[in-house]
Amino acid sequence: MKNQNAESVRLGIFVLCGLFLLILTLYFIGKNRGMFTDSFELKTRFRAVNGLMSGNNVRYSGIEIGAVESVVFLNDTSIEVTMNIQTKMRDIIRRNAVASLGTDGLIGNRVVNLFPGKGQAPVAKAGDLLPSKEEVSTDAMLQTLSRTNDNIAVIAEDLRLTVRHISTSAQLTRLLDDLSLSTNLKASLIHLHETTEQTSTLMSEVTRTFAKATQSEGTLATLFTDTSMAGQIKQTLYNIQTVEENAARLVQNLDQVISSVDKDLNQREGTIGALLKDTTITESLRHTLSNVEESTNALKLNMEALKHNFLFRGYFKRMEKRKKQ
Amino acid sequence: MSRFIGRFFGEGVRPRYEFGEFFHQCFVIGYKSLPLIGLTAFIIGLVLTMQLHPTMVYYGIEAQIPAMVGIAIIREIGPIVTSLIFAGKIGSSIGAELGSMKVTEQIDAMEVSGTNPFKYLVVTRTLAAMLTLPFLVIIADAISLYGSFLGVNIYENLSFHLFYEKILDYLFFIDIVPAFIKTFFFGFAIGIIGCFKGYYSNKGTEGVGRSANSAVVVSSVAIFILDLIAVQITDLL
Repeated sequence: MKNQNAESVRLGIFVLCGLFLLILTLYFIGKNRGMFTDSFELKTRFRAVNGLMSGNNVRYSGIEIGAVESVVFLNDTSIEVTMNIQTKMRDIIRRNAVASLGTDGLIGNRVVNLFPGKGQAPVAKAGDLLPSKEEVSTDAMLQTLSRTNDNIAVIAEDLRLTVRHISTSAQLTRLLDDLSLSTNLKASLIHLHETTEQTSTLMSEVTRTFAKATQSEGTLATLFTDTSMAGQIKQTLYNIQTVEENAARLVQNLDQVISSVDKDLNQREGTIGALLKDTTITESLRHTLSNVEESTNALKLNMEALKHNFLFRGYFKRMEKRKKQ
Repeated sequence: MSRFIGRFFGEGVRPRYEFGEFFHQCFVIGYKSLPLIGLTAFIIGLVLTMQLHPTMVYYGIEAQIPAMVGIAIIREIGPIVTSLIFAGKIGSSIGAELGSMKVTEQIDAMEVSGTNPFKYLVVTRTLAAMLTLPFLVIIADAISLYGSFLGVNIYENLSFHLFYEKILDYLFFIDIVPAFIKTFFFGFAIGIIGCFKGYYSNKGTEGVGRSANSAVVVSSVAIFILDLIAVQITDLL
């Protein structure tokens, strides 16, 4: 009887161990697939899912947040993936979150990766359809790689020709053999360095001056800060423009006058032309001027005589006294 | 054989049930097989991991060892290896026991004494084999995975938690449920074949040995055939 009891106990332990391990494994698998946590559904659509199936993980920024519930065809070019997402993620996932397909490691299971979208969007609700981003296929990558290889081949050929040209260039060889080149280059670099430093100092000075000018209450600060002055300056510039237009018109008129005078001079028409070009008038004018000079001298003598005349002597003396006072 | 199986179901569902003998057989067949199966499972897990490691390192995917070993053990290696060892130990034991009872006419004596030998000997043993093998497989899987964990830790440091997380990441219900269900059929095949070979043993003591031997051989082949069918059915799901 004792033996039977011991047998029963051992058998019971054995069965319980088996059941416990079975239930534990099923529980953990179910937990991993989100079966024992509150969840809500989100959907997304792809053109191709590349082996994604029910039960695959869903990740948000790399963290597991749920599992794929179903993968169904909508039509010949669209496959709808329904995902069970943990309820605790409800406030985090936005409607603009982007779904894309990925692989767990290099050769692992397929996963759906969700990434936050750009900009603001309301929180995703149960049943919302998230935008998706198609996976870059291996074929597309290989095609791109093939094109890149072709381009690299062309570049390598060009590079080869360039290097050959450089290696056979006598001028370049002379340049490279020139020992003074390095010295000159070094000196140039030193000068460049000094110039850069001076420029930097100058710019600092200008910046400081500008800052000082804008912070003070002088004319320059007013010029930079007073917005009403812009209107005045604009008006002034407008006035200057008007003056400039008037000046241009004046110059045009003067030009016309000068042209007219020039024409008169060349054609000996008009008074100025006659004065400047006609020799008889010039001679007559010179004679007239000589006569005027003689008359003026005679008038000067007469006036002097008049000063000594007893009738006008008193008047001139009074005039001299007033000048002295 | 088909008549024998039909009789098993007929006698199995009909009272009176031999619970005492059934639990005793569960203890003998299931519990007493645990040390052998546990040891084998541990070695299988450890060796499988150690053998896989260089190849996985060569391809740079040693991080996938837990997942690969886990799926391999739970889906296939665990049930098959456990069932084969079980067939070797229990199939031969049942075949030899019933064979010796047959040649010594104990079975006939039971019939004469009013005891139903088929119900008492065949139904209890077959049911015990059928119901204890799944539990043995589950425990063997767990032990085997622990062996694998130690195997991984020979080469690198991997926490127990992370090891099982990696396995569970790649495990689906479709991996574990069919593997669990098929072990019932394996257990049934081992039990019924052992009983059949022993029950119809003849030609004296030589026949006992032959019964034990053919019970192991036939049940091993039956395990592989059943596994093949199970895999085909699982693939359809």
